[in-house]
Amino acid sequence: MAKILEGPAMKLFNKWGIPVPNYVVIMDPERLAQLGEANKWLRESKLVVKAHEAIGGRFKLGLVKIGLNLDEAIAASREMIGAKIGTAEVRQVIVAEMLDHDAEFYVSIIGNKDGAELLISKHGGVDIEDNWDSVRRLQIPLDENPTIEQLTELAQNAGFEGEIAERVGKICSRLILCFDNEDAQSIEINPLVIRKSDMRFAALDAVMNVDWDARFRHADWDFKPVSEIGRPFTEAEQQIMDIDSRIKGSVKFVEVPGGEVALLTAGGGASVFYADAVVARGGTIANYAEYSGDPADWAVEALTETICRLPNIKHIIVGGAIANFTDVKATFSGIINGFRESKSKGYLEGVKIWVRRGGPNEAQGLAAIRQLQEEGFDIHVYDRSMPMTDIVDMALKS
Amino acid sequence: MSILANKDTRAVIIGGVAGVNAAKRMAQFDYLINRPLTVQAFVYPPEAGQQKEIFRGGELKNVTVYSSLTPALQEHPEINTALIYLGASRATQAAKEALESPNIQLVSMITEGVPEKDAKRLKKLAQQLGKMLNGPSSIGVMSAGECRLGVIGGEYRNLKLCNLYRPGSFGVLTKSGGLSNEAMWLCAQNGDGVTSAVAIGGDSYPGTDFVTYLEMFEKDPDTKAVVLVGEVGGNLEEEAAEWLAAEPRRIRLIAAIGGTCQEVLPQGMKFGHAGAKEGKKGAGSARSKMNALREAGALVPDTFGGLSKAIKQVYEELLASGAIKPESEIDEALLPELPPSVQEVMKQGEVIVEPLIRTTISDDRGEEPRYAGYAASELCAKGYGIEDVVALLWGKKLPTREESEIIKRIIMISADHGPAVSGAFGTIIGACAGIDMPQAVSAGMTMIGPRFGGAVTNAGKYFKMGVKEYPNDIPGFLAWMKKNVGPVPGIGHRVKSLRNPDQRVKYLVSYVKNETSLHTPILNYALEVEKITTAKKDNLILNVDGTMGCILMDLGFPEHSLNGFFVLARTIGMIGHWIDQNNQNSRLIRLYDYLINYAVKPERPVPDKK
Repeated sequence: MAKILEGPAMKLFNKWGIPVPNYVVIMDPERLAQLGEANKWLRESKLVVKAHEAIGGRFKLGLVKIGLNLDEAIAASREMIGAKIGTAEVRQVIVAEMLDHDAEFYVSIIGNKDGAELLISKHGGVDIEDNWDSVRRLQIPLDENPTIEQLTELAQNAGFEGEIAERVGKICSRLILCFDNEDAQSIEINPLVIRKSDMRFAALDAVMNVDWDARFRHADWDFKPVSEIGRPFTEAEQQIMDIDSRIKGSVKFVEVPGGEVALLTAGGGASVFYADAVVARGGTIANYAEYSGDPADWAVEALTETICRLPNIKHIIVGGAIANFTDVKATFSGIINGFRESKSKGYLEGVKIWVRRGGPNEAQGLAAIRQLQEEGFDIHVYDRSMPMTDIVDMALKS
Repeated sequence: MSILANKDTRAVIIGGVAGVNAAKRMAQFDYLINRPLTVQAFVYPPEAGQQKEIFRGGELKNVTVYSSLTPALQEHPEINTALIYLGASRATQAAKEALESPNIQLVSMITEGVPEKDAKRLKKLAQQLGKMLNGPSSIGVMSAGECRLGVIGGEYRNLKLCNLYRPGSFGVLTKSGGLSNEAMWLCAQNGDGVTSAVAIGGDSYPGTDFVTYLEMFEKDPDTKAVVLVGEVGGNLEEEAAEWLAAEPRRIRLIAAIGGTCQEVLPQGMKFGHAGAKEGKKGAGSARSKMNALREAGALVPDTFGGLSKAIKQVYEELLASGAIKPESEIDEALLPELPPSVQEVMKQGEVIVEPLIRTTISDDRGEEPRYAGYAASELCAKGYGIEDVVALLWGKKLPTREESEIIKRIIMISADHGPAVSGAFGTIIGACAGIDMPQAVSAGMTMIGPRFGGAVTNAGKYFKMGVKEYPNDIPGFLAWMKKNVGPVPGIGHRVKSLRNPDQRVKYLVSYVKNETSLHTPILNYALEVEKITTAKKDNLILNVDGTMGCILMDLGFPEHSLNGFFVLARTIGMIGHWIDQNNQNSRLIRLYDYLINYAVKPERPVPDKK
């Protein structure tokens, strides 16, 4: 899943004929003034200014301002751009036309194993949660496109009438095209609004996820996905992501503030069981991390150093199952270097390290890391005969 | 018995390097259980026609690479399985072709990062055709004692430790490659090993589901229980629970589900596998999956650590009920060892190999080449120059600052001479004839010899001999040279003379003598020789070759390296000439008639052949 921001989503909507209000994304408030000179709608409409960042609860944080004229919008963007929210900084704002409207609807499409499901409701906006029964659904099998008639009928079932039902049907049809052609995983439009005087429709807000694995066939994707973890990525997370994008195999890292047990685990499946074991024994994890696919030792070293720098940690779990082809000796040499480097910089004070691993060159890898005992590390090393997650139990009991 | 892969499985691998590596791992298993090679062919257009070397034990097999599936299947009609090792952008098309090939029944897709839509389409196609699609992001299929598809099972030693040389009674189903190994190990440690292990891959929309394989295991009489390792996200585990509960099943089910930690983690945290999407307490959560499986009758420990005990418990129950007879252990000593490679045996000090060549200047076995022991990047970082690299690789020692300044000047001063001399001229002719840089430059290079630039070595050599044998007897030296060698190498110039001296020689001599502390006995000797020869004829001066040769000798370079300085320096110039001619788009050179003396017989009739 790769969530994208509203601006790029609107751009894709435009491409596929889904109506959106006029909008601009800017990084510099002065640019908004210039755009105002060139664009009539900026001068004549009421405007909405929103922080264009993946920050949850923007309204409460004062990062959404509505009903502004151009000068007020410029002032609002000046205020927002550069604002710091925790580790995040607002770098961009989206300024959109505020549409007077008569009704708010809900339309979404979500992929599933047989294709996708289209959902529509007459009760969009903040009411949707309370009116979930009003949602009508249509399963769209893979590579089949429902006709406008079918979609209009669905809209009629959802309570839309006459021309509005037809128009909603058409918008749904374009939404399906957009979903299909852009390798989307889900698109939610809430609200889809209508101004009855001129029958103008617009998607006022959108949440869109695209399949980032499909980016090789979308040369026009000029955006990057945003953090899905409810907050922007930290600097350390960004660094590991940068390394991840450059190497064969993978390294992953997400911080969990306040945890005491750091995870330096291998394998997408095993790493989850280690986190589970920590939680099941009443411990708190300081991060989620994973390396797999036989990554280069320097990448594992960078991951190790990042993990050693986590504050307040008491244990590091160097865990993993019996690898198929990840070279234990090579990846452990990265971990060993990372530990040495971190210790020389004053980290790892009072931190216990617990190791369990198997796989290619396991004997050499485990022997090498065991040598850290002689260098004054508080390290406990086990081989495959130790059940995989039992080192977590030992750590938390120690 | 087994599912998916068995003794009759014959595979084609579609993909490059990773596929060849997998084939090597598969051949190790073939060797362990003494079956013929599983991989019959590769399909990889960039390397079509090549043979890949695959060792089955100590026996070298060659497996052909084909440009497409059709000819591979024509030549190997026994192939019934395809493994896809191509990158995500090409893997879908390859998997589609494989599914559509009549003989292929199973396609196992190892590729990671396949777009979801592609995976869904492939799954649909497989269903329509009644074929099996395992993966994407699968590590493969292991059928103990029968067949290995992919690198599942890990290294050779692990294959033995997990008893994979003979079938056991446990089936293994996982989403994760690493955990499939772990689960096989647990089955060997706490039970009698596995029948088949299948990693279906951790993507959101795998080509097959747990139920498909549970059905197959149910029908396999040798499988008595299945160990399933599931995780948060999707509903494959719930489907498995429904399947188990639907009717009495012959096989027992043991399951571990990962992801309970998400109950307490910040919302939205994403785990390793794409399929492990956030699923809090509702449907799709680890907890609800565990409950569903437990209610359906599966044995579900709270954590992965509890899996060992659960397997042991089921194994003992099956033993007690007589469903399983205890396996007589195979004597591990009877199992073949992989023949060690020469490198391994050498490491142990158990064999002596006489090296084929010896080098004393550079070593590329580390992270970067070392020149006579020094890392190239460190030399750069510490301000050394190309002249120091030349000294290291040709003379194996690092010159002093003064010495490297001299070397630098020698290279600079002899880099070019203009287009008139034979080396540059040869290069230019080559360039004008349209041949490439290396050929044109080497055409020029072949001109270096006794009459052009090739006198550096000999000049150094004979002047050194003079210093040694005729230290105070230059006439004696010249007489010996005349008798035994001929003209003195390094003496004489076609156009330069005492009255029209070569500025380069004057500069070099003056620089070395006045601005450095280099001791120059050989250069001094040559200058003494020049005094005598120029007295005879004023163009018998010490030329550039001779000057270079003497100074380089004085610097302590090996005698036979000296011509190299001229070769190196002139290469710079000749490359320049080649580039210059190409920049100008020069036309082909044809010699003008008036530059040739046609000293041939006049025109006459050809006589009849006798």
